[in-house]
Amino acid sequence: MRADLRRRSVLAATVLAVPLAAAGCKGVGGLGTLPKAGPDVAVLRGAIGTEQALIARYRSAMAGSPGLAGMLGPLLAQHREHLARLRSMLIEPASPSATPRPAPSSSRSTVPGSPAAATLAALETAETDAASSLAARLALAPPALAQLLASIAASEASHALFLRTHEAAG
Amino acid sequence: MTGTTGPATTGPATTGPATTSLAVTGSATGGTAAALQSALAAENAAIYGYGVAGAQLGTAARDQALRDWTLHELARDRLQAMLTSLGVKPVAAQPAYQLPFPVHGTQAAISLAGYLENQVAAAYLGIVALGDPRLRAWGAREARACALRATTWLGRTAAFPGLSSRSGPAAARPSASP
Repeated sequence: MRADLRRRSVLAATVLAVPLAAAGCKGVGGLGTLPKAGPDVAVLRGAIGTEQALIARYRSAMAGSPGLAGMLGPLLAQHREHLARLRSMLIEPASPSATPRPAPSSSRSTVPGSPAAATLAALETAETDAASSLAARLALAPPALAQLLASIAASEASHALFLRTHEAAG
Repeated sequence: MTGTTGPATTGPATTGPATTSLAVTGSATGGTAAALQSALAAENAAIYGYGVAGAQLGTAARDQALRDWTLHELARDRLQAMLTSLGVKPVAAQPAYQLPFPVHGTQAAISLAGYLENQVAAAYLGIVALGDPRLRAWGAREARACALRATTWLGRTAAFPGLSSRSGPAAARPSASP
């Protein structure tokens, strides 16, 4: 909880720094303009979209293969933790279209009733792609967000390993 | 606001970064050196801890511990070389480290391996907080490697490897093992 607050205040400081810097350059008139959303907000929105897509994919997989729910449930719960933590860092006022929500790509989406191994393989690919996507955003993020993205990417890479292990065992 | 405010690394892996011995001045270099020193201290602790764990494990698991131990030694060597190239004296390993819990038997040894990997991951997240994109990417890859080893040992995944997930105990996490 304290760590959450600390990260939240770091991002808040990032946003606040913009009007202060503008005021420094342009005098009092600079205070009148709202800061533009920085690249870190775009990074955060992208990461949120990635988590939402993964959550949708897990829900679909568990609906299609109820026998996998025991194995996939804890992984889904961790994605919900990722999403909650990312959302807690997004302090700008929410607008209805604020968060892009990419639909799970249909090319690799899970077909209900497909064999469990194929479902696990599709999820493994999705986890690996998500980890790569988060890692690719690291350079644009402020330090605290970069740490969170790296940790979530590591979690998703370990999800992929976990799924691969169970594919082999199954 | 340098990159030294990484995630909390409590436990045996933490020794204070040797900022007083920095041969290179400048805040960016100082932050880099401090983060590398913290990672090196964590690797030193992990190398010690894997020795303790390996002694408690059966043949197959001991082979795995030996492989992971070797990977941490390689990482230690690399961190030492990076620090030396910055003109900084790498922190020395301590003769012994306090273990987070008594390690008797296979299960405790496996738990220790998982614990050590999380501690090392936390230290690499300190490198991810630095400004240099290459160091960031490298720190993230190392943290991922730690998370993968932890999952192999523990048979479960963590939501936030290297970060404390909440103020509550980490043991509350449901196991993903079947």
